[in-house]
Amino acid sequence: MKKLWAVAAICALGGCSGSKPAGPVIGVSLLNLSNEFIVMLNKSMEEKARELGVRLIVNDAQRSAEKQVQQVESFVAQKVDAVILNPCEVEASSPAVDRAAAAGVPVVNVNSETRTAPTAFVGSRDEDSARIAMEYIAQRLGGKGNVVMMQGFIGQAAQIKREQGAREVLAKNPGMRLLANQTAEWDRAKGMSLMENWIQSYGDGINAVFAQNDEMAMGALLAIEQSGRKGKIVVVGVDAITDALQAVKDGRLDATVFQDAKGQGAAAVATAVKIMRHEAFEKQTMIPFQLVTRENVATFSK
Amino acid sequence: MVAAGWFRERGGKRTRWPAEVTLGIALLVLMGVVAAARPNFLNVGNLVNLVRQISINGILAVGVTYVLLTGGVDLSLGSVVALSGVAAASFAHPGEMGAVAVAVGIFAGAAVGAANGTVVTVGRVAPFIATLGTMTAARGLALLASGGRPVSNLSRSFTWLGSGSVPIVIFGAVAAASWVFLRHMRMGRYIYAVGGNENAARASGLHVRTVKMAAYTVCGALAGLAGVVQAARITTGQPNAGTGYELDAIAAVVIGGTSLSGGTGGVGGAILGALLIGVINNGLDLLNVSSYYQQVVKGAIIVGAVWLDRSKGR
Repeated sequence: MKKLWAVAAICALGGCSGSKPAGPVIGVSLLNLSNEFIVMLNKSMEEKARELGVRLIVNDAQRSAEKQVQQVESFVAQKVDAVILNPCEVEASSPAVDRAAAAGVPVVNVNSETRTAPTAFVGSRDEDSARIAMEYIAQRLGGKGNVVMMQGFIGQAAQIKREQGAREVLAKNPGMRLLANQTAEWDRAKGMSLMENWIQSYGDGINAVFAQNDEMAMGALLAIEQSGRKGKIVVVGVDAITDALQAVKDGRLDATVFQDAKGQGAAAVATAVKIMRHEAFEKQTMIPFQLVTRENVATFSK
Repeated sequence: MVAAGWFRERGGKRTRWPAEVTLGIALLVLMGVVAAARPNFLNVGNLVNLVRQISINGILAVGVTYVLLTGGVDLSLGSVVALSGVAAASFAHPGEMGAVAVAVGIFAGAAVGAANGTVVTVGRVAPFIATLGTMTAARGLALLASGGRPVSNLSRSFTWLGSGSVPIVIFGAVAAASWVFLRHMRMGRYIYAVGGNENAARASGLHVRTVKMAAYTVCGALAGLAGVVQAARITTGQPNAGTGYELDAIAAVVIGGTSLSGGTGGVGGAILGALLIGVINNGLDLLNVSSYYQQVVKGAIIVGAVWLDRSKGR
């Protein structure tokens, strides 16, 4: 692991074009290694690569699509056998796919998409996470009741897709009414304030809260508990962050939705290896989201 | 009580009434509008809720008043909220002394404030640039200290600080102490003097550097306190917390009539400004105004309030 970092660092600094190490090599460019989810994704890729006998060169794009394109260019120069791209942005990361394709290097996109179609895609549909969460709420409320929704940063891909998924379920359940729908910008403190205001406004009229991420769900939960309504309002988030898993285990949070970093990382490496070996491969591998409730939380906590 | 002193302060300007009065009227009108549409706005429960929600921004606004009065600015407030929240939370696990955690949080804020003061006074770097630098650095430190993850599992004695009306009491105490300090203590008057005319202050024997250092350090310490209260309120230290808080705090102070060029204004206006922003946020949520419109309305009201205040004196 450390050695790989050193190789990646040296390549990034000096550019080691042409010096191809022995054995099959996959160049990996990740969105951001200071994000818990991406760190887990990276770990599972390393494990799978060891298992399949391939080497990974892992670069961290630190959220910069520009840097990501450069990294893929240097992968191409190093004549890697495949590239796994964890795109920073839909549009701005597309040139990375183009460069690799032009040089005949196959690309597997993992976790999120680019406008240019890669050789293969491994990930999850963000709409599904919200659909699963909202279906759980519908089931808990028996298809009838008032729901409030906390949105993420308006206009971000995750917010748009999660909103879309949630609304699909609401449309199918005419007995469920969307009482209010506002942004708390993915933030726990803002989620708490927003929930306090909703409680003032609607009192006991709220039957369930769907927060588009766990941070906001945790904020809503605190506001509900402090207003003495614990257990009277169903609260569901998305992401399965550590705090949320703990809250589910403690019986405070009703549910969250788990995105499978391990599954995505392993499938991405497996797909890249199949392509390299000219075996049959899936153009699209969807790793399903999983609902986490008190019954199954033990299998998700680390 | 604020008005009497206000006239002394701005004696030279042609103003018909103090900023606090204009703002007070604007606040009442706004509250009336919201109450007319949603009678439950005036419930005691909601009013307590509203003041609790502005406590964090209120403490920040009172703190940054010190710096704005010297003619400076502090953009590092939001990052300090995150840093001190993470720092305090790291010492607030069950079994640890809540008081130590609070002290650590406030100290972290004061340290960043002192760094700001040093760069501004000794390094002669423009406050905007100096605090832009610490804003970035403090955020980085918060991420480093927490490993990028929220610091949770905090003791009850610590989270008590954020529960019920405790944040309101803390905000009230900070506001009252600062009002007395700026109005009646010698050091407080020096801050006005330095902001009003730095050269004149220096010529009359004031140690300008010390005064500015004090202002930035107090501002940092109060931002640290705000971070502690916020961490207690959301029962976790969040390295990503507080982004953009500096702008809400500065907006509150400026709405309250404090000049960005220093020397005039005070704590009373900052509190009213924070209240106005709080009423806007709370009211728009109660009215279920769409998130898109909320931002437009909020911006328009902020600019409108300041415009009204600035135009009345002409």
